[in-house]
Amino acid sequence: MATQPVGFFTDTTLCIGCKACEVACKEWNGLPNNPLEFRGSYDNTGQLDHANWRHVRFVEQAGTSQDKPIAWSMMSDVCKHCANASCLEVCPTNAIVRTEFDTVFIQQDVCNGCRDCISACPYGVIGFNSNSGTAQKCTFCYDRLQNNLKPACATACPTQSIKFGPLAEMRQTAAARLDTLHQQGMSQARIYGNQEYGGLHALFLITDKPEAYNLPSTESAVLPSRNNIPGYLTMAVTAVVAAMAGLIAFRRRGESASPSPSGGGQGGG
Amino acid sequence: MTNHWRDIKNTDLILINGANPAEAHPVGFQWFLAAKNDPKRGPGSGGGARIIHADPRFTRTSAMADIYARIRTGTDVAYFGGLINYVLQNNLYHKEYVLNYTNASFLVKKEFGFQDGLFTGYDPKTRKYDISSWGYQIDTAASDAYNAAHPPAGGAIATIAKRDMTLEDPQTVFQLMKQHYSRYTPEMVSRITGVPQDQFMRIAQLVGQMGTPDKVMTIVYAVGLTHHTTGGELIRSGALLQLLLGNMGRPGGGMNAERGHANIQGNTDHAISWEILPGYMQIPAPQRKTIDEYVAAQAPKKLDPHSWNFFGTNYKKFTVSLLKAWYGDAATKSNDFAFNFIPKPGQNSSWMSIYDQSLKGKMQGLILCGMTATSIGPDSNRVMQALANLKWLVVMDPLPTTSSEFWRRPGADPKSIQTEVFMIPTTHWIEKDGSFVNSGRWSQWKEQVIPPQGNARHDHWVLADLFTRVKALYQQQGGKFPDPVMALTMNYANPKQPTLDELAQEINGFDLTTKTRMSSFANLKDDGTTTAGDWIYTGSYPASGNLMRRTAGVQDVAKNDPTGMGFFPNWAWSWPLNRRVMYNRASADLAGNPWDPTRAAIKWDATQAKWVGDVPDYPATMKPYTQDPTAWLPFIMTGEGTGRLFSNSMVDGPLPEHYEPMESPVANPLHPNQSASPVAFIYSGGTGNFANVKDSFGTAADYPYVATSYRLTEHEHYVTQHVPLLAGLQPSPFVEIPQELANQKGIKSGDRVRVRSKRGKIEVLALVTKRLGPSTIDGKQIFQIGIPIHWGFVGVSADADPSKGANWLANALTPFVGDANAYTPEFKAFLVNLEKI
Amino acid sequence: MPGEHFVVAPGWTWLILLYFFFAGISGGAFVIGTMLRLWGSPSDAAASRLAFIVSFPLLLICPILLTLDLGQPARFWHMLVDVGSGTPAFKAYSPMSLGVWGLTLFGLFSFVMFLGAVGEGGYLRWRVLAGAGRVMNSALGKAFMVVGAIFGFFFAAYTGVLLAVSNQPVWSDTWTLGGLFLASGLSGAAATILLLSRGRRDAAVTDGKLMEADRYFIILELVLIAVFLITLGGVVSKVLGGGWILLWLVVLIGTLVPLVAEWRPALRRQLPPVLVPVLVLVGVLALRAVIIFSAQA
Ligand SMILES: Nc1nc2c(c(=O)[nH]1)N[C@H]1C(S)=C(S)[C@@H](COP(=O)(O)OP(=O)(O)OC[C@H]3O[C@@H](n4cnc5c(=O)[nH]c(N)nc54)[C@H](O)[C@@H]3O)O[C@H]1N2
Ligand SMILES: Nc1nc2c(c(=O)[nH]1)N[C@H]1C(S)=C(S)[C@@H](COP(=O)(O)OP(=O)(O)OC[C@H]3O[C@@H](n4cnc5c(=O)[nH]c(N)nc54)[C@H](O)[C@@H]3O)O[C@H]1N2
Ligand code: SF4
Ligand code: SF4
Ligand code: SF4
Ligand code: SF4
Ligand code: SF4
Ligand SMILES: [Mo]
Repeated sequence: MATQPVGFFTDTTLCIGCKACEVACKEWNGLPNNPLEFRGSYDNTGQLDHANWRHVRFVEQAGTSQDKPIAWSMMSDVCKHCANASCLEVCPTNAIVRTEFDTVFIQQDVCNGCRDCISACPYGVIGFNSNSGTAQKCTFCYDRLQNNLKPACATACPTQSIKFGPLAEMRQTAAARLDTLHQQGMSQARIYGNQEYGGLHALFLITDKPEAYNLPSTESAVLPSRNNIPGYLTMAVTAVVAAMAGLIAFRRRGESASPSPSGGGQGGG
Repeated sequence: MTNHWRDIKNTDLILINGANPAEAHPVGFQWFLAAKNDPKRGPGSGGGARIIHADPRFTRTSAMADIYARIRTGTDVAYFGGLINYVLQNNLYHKEYVLNYTNASFLVKKEFGFQDGLFTGYDPKTRKYDISSWGYQIDTAASDAYNAAHPPAGGAIATIAKRDMTLEDPQTVFQLMKQHYSRYTPEMVSRITGVPQDQFMRIAQLVGQMGTPDKVMTIVYAVGLTHHTTGGELIRSGALLQLLLGNMGRPGGGMNAERGHANIQGNTDHAISWEILPGYMQIPAPQRKTIDEYVAAQAPKKLDPHSWNFFGTNYKKFTVSLLKAWYGDAATKSNDFAFNFIPKPGQNSSWMSIYDQSLKGKMQGLILCGMTATSIGPDSNRVMQALANLKWLVVMDPLPTTSSEFWRRPGADPKSIQTEVFMIPTTHWIEKDGSFVNSGRWSQWKEQVIPPQGNARHDHWVLADLFTRVKALYQQQGGKFPDPVMALTMNYANPKQPTLDELAQEINGFDLTTKTRMSSFANLKDDGTTTAGDWIYTGSYPASGNLMRRTAGVQDVAKNDPTGMGFFPNWAWSWPLNRRVMYNRASADLAGNPWDPTRAAIKWDATQAKWVGDVPDYPATMKPYTQDPTAWLPFIMTGEGTGRLFSNSMVDGPLPEHYEPMESPVANPLHPNQSASPVAFIYSGGTGNFANVKDSFGTAADYPYVATSYRLTEHEHYVTQHVPLLAGLQPSPFVEIPQELANQKGIKSGDRVRVRSKRGKIEVLALVTKRLGPSTIDGKQIFQIGIPIHWGFVGVSADADPSKGANWLANALTPFVGDANAYTPEFKAFLVNLEKI
Repeated sequence: MPGEHFVVAPGWTWLILLYFFFAGISGGAFVIGTMLRLWGSPSDAAASRLAFIVSFPLLLICPILLTLDLGQPARFWHMLVDVGSGTPAFKAYSPMSLGVWGLTLFGLFSFVMFLGAVGEGGYLRWRVLAGAGRVMNSALGKAFMVVGAIFGFFFAAYTGVLLAVSNQPVWSDTWTLGGLFLASGLSGAAATILLLSRGRRDAAVTDGKLMEADRYFIILELVLIAVFLITLGGVVSKVLGGGWILLWLVVLIGTLVPLVAEWRPALRRQLPPVLVPVLVLVGVLALRAVIIFSAQA
């Protein structure tokens, strides 16, 4: 595998919801078990969090034909290892780094548990582990990659719904698969992850709009930093206005010296 | 399976009935998807194989299917019968195949008949058929002539049947069959199964395209068919359809049973069930005094001059070789090879009869090894009563089970249970080497993963030790009939601790004159010079070594799978003789050319003058008919030499007929007065809670809902209740309830509900879903509910629950009744009532 | 809806709320103190001293709250030092990183001015502080204050930007939070000084001016609240819906009542004098509470 950018291609049309990926991940990474409580469906995992780095989502929708009374698609969700990663962007301690495999990794010994990354991740991937006091998510099996092993989840998947390989290769595989499905008349099929966040390292083949799979639409796939400039600008303008207000309110009374706004401006910085 | 897992990628159409492979066989399911994703496959111009899933519930398999049909449990004979009718009425069957490779042309006796749901010969008192009328018209002249020319081999005298190659004689199997299934109109199919007529027609049109040489269909089934009082016929009806379409023996075709535990196929091959000897030879009936009597009674008769009748011809060789393997030097020609040592069951000794006997007080003790009687059921309450009726119970298992703990289950009073329970910790299969035989008959050798934990002992060591002690007792004290015990061979380095490798060699068998291991069952003899612990495995461990260990697989596909058909001949070993597709002679036409050259199993190679491809199910160098008119017919195991559309080998009828489950919401629309199977296996007298057998069955009046029980991908029956991570995925027992029914009853997902049958109750959580829904059966709206089997009062989920798993056993509900042929309990169809707690 | 994400909440609650609250007042107080020096009359010096004196202790609470909120409090310093390279951990585009540096530097200014004010007011008769007053009113002192005030502005406001620079609903759907937190911070600061000036004849002379300023700050705040709600578009239901409307009522009372009261001295005299500033502070807290909690609900 050398150290070229790696990627997942998770093909929901091949996913049978067996959850082998979930268990393999838990086993390999020694993640704690889920509480033994029934959630009213086949999905008793619920979401990605500090203890679930793969989560098989069961999407139940209205049927496509009389012969398919319901469309029940399954999707094994995971950290997208975004090329432009929201989590990495905001992390104040540089605990979140990009590895030699171009994956996004949280250094457990650096993270101080501020949870800014959690507020940033647009996919709700990261969870806070109150025992370790740190943020945790899929490591892309960093330890396995370093030893030329496939990630545990991809290894366990019985249907090759989770494919793993060089990112470029994954992109091709995904494109080819999409063609086949379109030829087979699945016009709704699409690849998610080629444009979003500069290209995800976890591509998904889905058969409905991204929102149906809890994936932000392409136009919604925006980075937190987009709000820096507007945010600080408003702050600055407000500061200027406030300073002028101060100037008016605090100025020496009875004296004609009503200074220029610019002066106030300086005053306001 | 007649074929094998990887072969499913070769198909154009997949019918899944009574199986949920995406959940129960997730790894094998990749081959279903391979076919679906291969543009070369599929009906018409291809574009991928189609998958049709008929199941009472929309499952994870349905999600992957192209057509999901909500079928009522227990009605697949009607479904297949309707398809058979469609294929016959529209002349869509594979003409050449049906004429030459099936018994369609055989003439059936005039006396044979079928009326009001009964075949001729039924005796209501014994609930059994006299099958004498279910035979062929015999051409006595031809028979005598043949027997004169060929002195009977192995006690198998030929009785040549009359045939009509025009298929027009009303007594031909073909005409009788056509008439029989003419009643299975789309309208009738829909009334019985609940599958809407228009949908059934869409299915029929796809299936109808599969009778041409260039298309092939596979039928995949599992215990959704077997767990019925009509299980045998449910499966046979699918096989009939496959024979008509010419799909038997072809890659991408066949009638494929997805087996159970990783090694359940090996279990059955080695006669885990009471009515057979290793290699599917019948257990001798008590009245059989000599081998020849036994062979004469059991071996298939040669019914056509062109049938090899391989099984019939070799039955005696296999029997003698088995006796030599078991009794060694004590088995001599003079004592008829110790044939009288074989225990002969005086009465039915199938699964349920064990507990019945115990309830009747006719049993002292019981050894349960590697299974959990209490959870398995049926009618767990009755089973637990039976266990409480024993003096002693031995449980050989790595882990506590509901059987080892039954005496202290929630609500039970240990003081009132006198049974002495011995827990013998055995190794789990991951703690030993040995072979797994998969559904495709591939015997694959595995290594020990971890050494035995704690003081666990291997099962075969426990049993060997037990045997030597019993033998010692006989030595000291004599006994009624010590000979079988004394004579039994234990030729192992350490008789108390045989290795599985030694057992594998014994199963393969030896040539006693050369002292080498046999290479093929074809060389077994009936003169006592050969042994075979299980003739179908002869050749698995020849002189060259253990072929089950071979691993030439996907690491080099081009080299290891030269034909590209997925045979991988040097990967492990499959019985018989490493053949991957059974009956594969039928995959080629009379001239020996594959029906579909792009999907050949075997073909006649004129230059080499032999069959090439898969290991032929045929003499390797026997010319095709077109070159040699005396060549054998393709189905070498049957007396007919052909596939059997009509067969007297089933006790409930020569042609599959739809019968309702013992507990059904409707009377059989075909023949209301003979609603359920006339020969279903019910018990002579009532036992347990029920004074009379009939008391244990409920009616739709009290139990309006149809229930079926099944597996979830997240659990393996009961054992994974010990696996926390899996319990985390499916933590609580539940029932799947159709949305509409839940609305009527004001039940929401997560509510606690009580499900009752005539036999017992469970108290679990509700999972309300649109995946289940109402069906219109014979004009009535019927709801089916689903009950996963996995929970009980042992394991992490039970320990974590305040109820400690009381009323979690699915089998508290199931009926104590079995299939007429295999005695398999009717786990899959019973009536219940449902209430919110 | 564009900007729709499928996030989980960071679980920032009381500690963070209080942090944001005190940051706003501390930063605001420093700014007010500075403005009084720059443009006010000598008589406003006392009020300005109060402002500087209150700014620092309030600021001191902030890092404590922040640290307590961490999963690994002992690793607070990881925000300042990159443990990998040993170099300063500074990310201009990460408001949390920027904020921690802002807090540190502002702390410096706030501390110095605190000492200055203490010295000028003669609360501490240390020799070092003797000349404090002179230095403060010198050009150099003023320059120092102005720079500090810029940090003060930032410190009172950045917490709003911090919320916005995320992908959380509400927070990341608007650009107003920085300004909004600043305006309300200033108003809160004015109210705090008003509270403290009670019973100090020397400082009370500035009350009028402070109330006038507070009036402007409140108006600014109300304008920004309006813009905030508009910018939210569809998500607005998340902040207004449910029980949150009650908190908004508190915010309204905390702004409108003081606004009217400070306008109409007649009306004001009817009310107990502490009430108005207290209402303001409660409003400031409620505003932050509703924004922090409703988005994470
Ligand atoms: N994950 C997992 N896999 C397993 C096992 C396990 O416990 N867990 N057990 C193994 C064993 S021992 C076995 S035997 C196999 C069993 O494998 P399967 O037979 O596939 O398993 P089941 O879930 O018992 O039943 C399959 C389906 O049959 C449907 N069904 C019930 N009655 C009928 C009917 O009359 N007609 C039709 N068409 N469908 C019907 C049920 O709704 C169910 O979806 O699985 C093996 N694999
Ligand atoms: N209602 C209903 N009932 C059913 C079914 C259904 O579909 N519905 N399915 C039926 C079917 S098909 C089956 S196969 C049964 C399954 O019923 P079981 O076979 O009882 O189920 P398992 O949990 O697989 O039990 C296997 C036991 O073997 C033990 N074991 C594993 N390895 C070894 C070993 O090497 N040696 C020994 N001695 N023990 C070992 C395990 O610890 C476990 O306790 O349930 C049957 N009962
Ligand atoms: S998915 Fe979330 S956690 Fe994963 S890299 Fe992208 S932003 Fe970070
Ligand atoms: S929680 Fe840890 S990883 Fe996440 S932003 Fe804070 S320091 Fe970085
Ligand atoms: S890559 Fe490794 S860590 Fe990430 S989900 Fe898969 S198994 Fe878990
Ligand atoms: S292992 Fe593969 S098939 Fe099973 S749930 Fe995960 S992705 Fe789906
Ligand atoms: S559990 Fe074992 S046998 Fe069953 S599907 Fe998985 S791998 Fe195959
Ligand atoms: Mo089974």
